[in-house]
Amino acid sequence: MTKYLLKRLFWMLPLLVGISLVSFLIMHLAPGDITTTEASFNPKASEESRQKLRQIYHLDEPVIVQYGLWLKRMVTLDFGKSFATHQRPVFWQVKDEKGNITKGMIQDALPVTLLINVLSLVLIIVVALPLGVISALTQNRPPDRAITIFVFIGFAIPGFWLALMLMYWTGVVHDWLPISGLHSIDFEKMAWPAQILDVLKHLAIPVFISGLSGLAGISLYVRNGMLDVLHQDYITTARAKGLPENSVVYRHALRNALLPLITILGLSIPGLIGGSVIAESLFAIPGMGKLFYDAVLMRDFPVIMGILTIGSALTLLGNLLADVAYAWADPRVRRGVVQ
Amino acid sequence: MKRVLLNPLSLWGFVIIAGILLLALFAPLIASHDPEAIDVKAILLAPSSIHLMGTDGLGRDVFSRMLFGARISLLVGFVAVGIATVIGIILGAISGFYRGWVDIVIMRLVDVMLSIPTFFLILAVIAFLTPSIWNIMIVIGLTSWMGVTRLVRAEFLSLRGREFVMASQTLGAQDSRLIFKHLLPNSLTPIIVSSVLGIASAVLVESGLSFLGLGVQAPQASWGNILTDGKEYIQFAWWLSLFPGMAILITVLGYNLLGEGLRDALDPRTTKQ
Repeated sequence: MTKYLLKRLFWMLPLLVGISLVSFLIMHLAPGDITTTEASFNPKASEESRQKLRQIYHLDEPVIVQYGLWLKRMVTLDFGKSFATHQRPVFWQVKDEKGNITKGMIQDALPVTLLINVLSLVLIIVVALPLGVISALTQNRPPDRAITIFVFIGFAIPGFWLALMLMYWTGVVHDWLPISGLHSIDFEKMAWPAQILDVLKHLAIPVFISGLSGLAGISLYVRNGMLDVLHQDYITTARAKGLPENSVVYRHALRNALLPLITILGLSIPGLIGGSVIAESLFAIPGMGKLFYDAVLMRDFPVIMGILTIGSALTLLGNLLADVAYAWADPRVRRGVVQ
Repeated sequence: MKRVLLNPLSLWGFVIIAGILLLALFAPLIASHDPEAIDVKAILLAPSSIHLMGTDGLGRDVFSRMLFGARISLLVGFVAVGIATVIGIILGAISGFYRGWVDIVIMRLVDVMLSIPTFFLILAVIAFLTPSIWNIMIVIGLTSWMGVTRLVRAEFLSLRGREFVMASQTLGAQDSRLIFKHLLPNSLTPIIVSSVLGIASAVLVESGLSFLGLGVQAPQASWGNILTDGKEYIQFAWWLSLFPGMAILITVLGYNLLGEGLRDALDPRTTKQ
């Protein structure tokens, strides 16, 4: 098992290099760089000073040289500094000579997005499992029909629109929930239970929005998985030997129907991370999505590259975790892996 | 075709999509106003018999803008998925037919592309181009071919081992004949299903980008950018947000129903259940 893990981790390296190369090329083949946006803020910026700026950031070198420089710094996990926001480090905090610590941009943003994603995953599992099981057990009868309609709408509804509507309904019309940011102004003065409640209140709609389509998808998978399993011979056997229906459904069928779910959850990670852009921009939540959106508008290359790389690394790690979890849950797969 | 229309899912999907297609096609005839005409005397009017869906912050008629916005959504969906499908078929066919090192290279490229969070990638590229409907279609197309590639490759791999293909090969059929006469036609069903479902997500992505201001630019109307206005005026003008959102929802729902219905109707394995 350890050998398998090491092998998988080792394979992530070339994949990550490939990902960063693709991202780098795409970004630099497109016209415009940071000096374009700087110039639009400051019309007096001359072509000469823009040229100087390009030199400082090595933007005048050929793309492949720039990529080499970037890769060289990456070996020491140095993601560089932001072009735009006061030269903040992109990834992790740095200490200057006076001992002042400047926090990294991704360091600040990543926990927020991870929190939203973990909460969405919890929501997905807690709601989608029962929905899928109920749907399968009442196949083609009213509960199943209702859940299927919900699933199709969940797939089709534009998340940002629903967010906008909920924001209006709960925040503007009724004042039930705060509509922007991560916590209230007096957050620092609260006791910790109130702080947790405050953050949860701020994240309620964003978490619901980012989880909704996953929720629809997973309940459909659970339903179809259950239907598949319920037609297997060993379920008939379990029933034939007189086991109570509950035991057949939950101990024999559900546990097997859940197996493929592990992989599906692993595969849904890039969607969750990518989906954070609109929700976070709309609710002004300082996570990876908002950071990326702002960086893209500023053409802030180091930040864009940093987020693409970290986001992809997280995706790869998620897939690896899913595979390991699958092997742990399914002895048949485990035996295959060890051999 | 009969089976497709007998399936309730695909029938509903077909009716919805056909309806929107007709509305978009005859938009100039149905529209009550010029979708880009500004009228300062009619700003933010609620829906009425003159302005069926009200007017926006510049006094433009929302109903007319919605009709022309439908054209954008349909066009983006078709062209983006067309691009993705063509790339996917070519790469998947090469991969599945010739195998060997080409297959390895293409599959690793698919892995790389699939590991980058898609919406981030699209955003990164779009933001550097002049926002226009053509750029959007191309970028969505270029970032969503991976699924089709894997699908076509898998179909080709399984079909190559079948007797009728081997027989044809033994009789001396050329590669091109094998690919276009035998392998491709037999892989069409899953390709069509995944394309229809792909259109649904392309429509969602376009509206999302336009909503963020990175997609179709005003004065040209798109459901996404009507919603951007809706966000600004949400406290005063609910109609600006409600109608475009519903339109996107119904369109995406239509494609999803059509896709799932096609899958059920065309795939003998699922029909049996």
